[in-house]
Amino acid sequence: MNHPVVERHPILDPEKAAPFPAAAFQILRNTQLRKNVAHATDVIQEKRDRLVAEKADWQELRSAGSALRMHLLENLGHYLEQFEERCTATGGVVHWAKDAAEARAIILEILRQEHATEVIKIKTMTSAEIQLNPAIEAAGMKAFETDLAEIILQLGEDEPSHIVVPALHVNRTQVREIFARRMNRPELTDDPKELTGAARTFLREKFLRVPTAISGANFLVAETGSVVIVESEGNGRMCLTLPRTMITLAGIEKVVPRFQDLEIMLQVLARSATGERMNPYSSLWTGVTPGDGPQRFHVVLLDNGRSDILARGRERQTLKCIRCGACQNTCPVYRQTGGHAYGSVYGGPIGAILTPQLMHLEHAQTLPYASSLCGACYDVCPVKINIPEVLIDLRAKVTDKEREEERRFFDPMYLGMIIANFFFASAARFRFAQKMGRLGLRLFTRKDGWIHYLPSIGARWTMTRDLRGLPDQTFREWWAGRNAGRGKEGR
Amino acid sequence: MSSSIGSREAILGKIRHATGNGAADIAGSYAALERKYVRAGGLAVEERLALMVERLREYDAEVLEASPDSLPDAIRAMLDASGRRVFVAPAGLPAEWLVEGFDWKIDHELTTSEIEKTDGVVTASFCGIADSGTIVLHHSAAEGRRVISLLPDWHLCVLKASDVVETLPEYFARCAEPPELATYISGPSATADIEMTRIKGVHGPRFLNVIVVRDEAT
Repeated sequence: MNHPVVERHPILDPEKAAPFPAAAFQILRNTQLRKNVAHATDVIQEKRDRLVAEKADWQELRSAGSALRMHLLENLGHYLEQFEERCTATGGVVHWAKDAAEARAIILEILRQEHATEVIKIKTMTSAEIQLNPAIEAAGMKAFETDLAEIILQLGEDEPSHIVVPALHVNRTQVREIFARRMNRPELTDDPKELTGAARTFLREKFLRVPTAISGANFLVAETGSVVIVESEGNGRMCLTLPRTMITLAGIEKVVPRFQDLEIMLQVLARSATGERMNPYSSLWTGVTPGDGPQRFHVVLLDNGRSDILARGRERQTLKCIRCGACQNTCPVYRQTGGHAYGSVYGGPIGAILTPQLMHLEHAQTLPYASSLCGACYDVCPVKINIPEVLIDLRAKVTDKEREEERRFFDPMYLGMIIANFFFASAARFRFAQKMGRLGLRLFTRKDGWIHYLPSIGARWTMTRDLRGLPDQTFREWWAGRNAGRGKEGR
Repeated sequence: MSSSIGSREAILGKIRHATGNGAADIAGSYAALERKYVRAGGLAVEERLALMVERLREYDAEVLEASPDSLPDAIRAMLDASGRRVFVAPAGLPAEWLVEGFDWKIDHELTTSEIEKTDGVVTASFCGIADSGTIVLHHSAAEGRRVISLLPDWHLCVLKASDVVETLPEYFARCAEPPELATYISGPSATADIEMTRIKGVHGPRFLNVIVVRDEAT
């Protein structure tokens, strides 16, 4: 049955978002969203699998990509300083931001110096991570997203639900409704071609007029100080060619040591992200080139919790991520809930390990449990991040942390575990508990041998599944009786 | 920015604390990284060119082949077939490519609005990668500034057969020096953001045309 769903603006701030189970529970009732997510992830997965299968050296590419990213992380300080030196030498200005607030302040200050009233943006998840758009609006300036998916979200007052295809939870009818209303184009039909054309017209004038642009980065090249952006539509090329000033926001882990390393990264990224041999456009630029492109160029290097992840043993590999989204498309949990349930711009398996760590496990503690540990994400990861391993580690850390909190004494789960510990610790107590349990559950066991309803917290189980009633005998009782019986026969 | 000077030291300090000082011999540890993937393709010249053309056609690009002598004729044929009249040319485009009968705007610092008013653009290219059907521009004088191969809706790119490699690593091997600017084009601008339906032509040129020139090496 299709429950009416209250449309709410999704909250992608881990400090404010609902815990995963609560958020997912809401979303699972939205059958339209589930249908949209299932369709999109099916299509990308099928293309990805086909193109990976044709690549005979896929596993060697993964191994090389993994080793390269690990080498980078082990020597991150060296490569960041090298990037800074080369970028500065070629005319760029490098800024360092400890956290989201500082990154926002740096970018707003540059915009003020530029006397900017408007800014055009290339899709960047890092900008969503630091909640940049609300800060730009609050400072009295206008930010225009230029990626088609991001326009759909911005005009629809929605949030990204996927790292690569951020509007995959919206279907054509919904896009048509948003464009008709916000672009004032009531004549539009729901033909994707027509809707794409509407976006082209809507943005063309902005590309030619707005002199300031903000981008993310797919890769920073330490050897040369270059920035690399991969894209499909050409909105990126517009933003990094036409404006006077370009501001690139990049996480500190986005560096690769040398230009040549792109031969690995570009091969694995496009195949994993969109199921293409190569995405339609990739661009590389180095500082400022006289007469070609923006003449003022800033790079903001963002830490925001990343150096803390670097300090952790097994979790360090989280930072190898190149944001291809393949783990999202393959994850049986993400495929049901989409990205919003994760309460962060980074949804799916990578989000389940990245977000809690960026939050120092102060928020998003439910995310490491948002997985069945099936390992599909590890299989598809182009840089071999062992996500299940990190998930298990984080679960242990969440539990360790909870053990120090006072509220544990009011948590039924924690109290239940203490009581269970008491009974499991001695055979006599355990046998006693079995007897009591059998007596107690008999009240709820129907004639068919199944429990269909339990009160209180037991209802959390029985509201979605039935429970087998306990048998009259335990295995030990049956075994003892069986031996006794055989003994008699032998006499 | 004054606020970020302290942050620079703080961030680098945390990184150094987390990683120690990294490998003692960073260059050595980099050189020792495992690279067992395919670094060079195994196709013969004709197969390689055929693959390049096949990939380009999969992207709906128009492809013609020409000899060095017949190149101007091939350019004229493509321009004629386009039904367009006004074309941008990079300042360093060979003079014999500027075939008569069309209105050429040579890019001596053309303004954005002048470029926007043209019908198309003709450029050379740095190389082609057959495996992915990619055209590489390093924006030399004959390849032009980035903006001229971006704004016009129709792009004709001349690719020398001797510049076609099979795999991406072979392109990197050809770069004596890393480029300052590079654009990698694998088919015309496209999006699949609405229900994964592939739509051609969002912001970049909607029509990509390629002439493969059979030069001396082939």
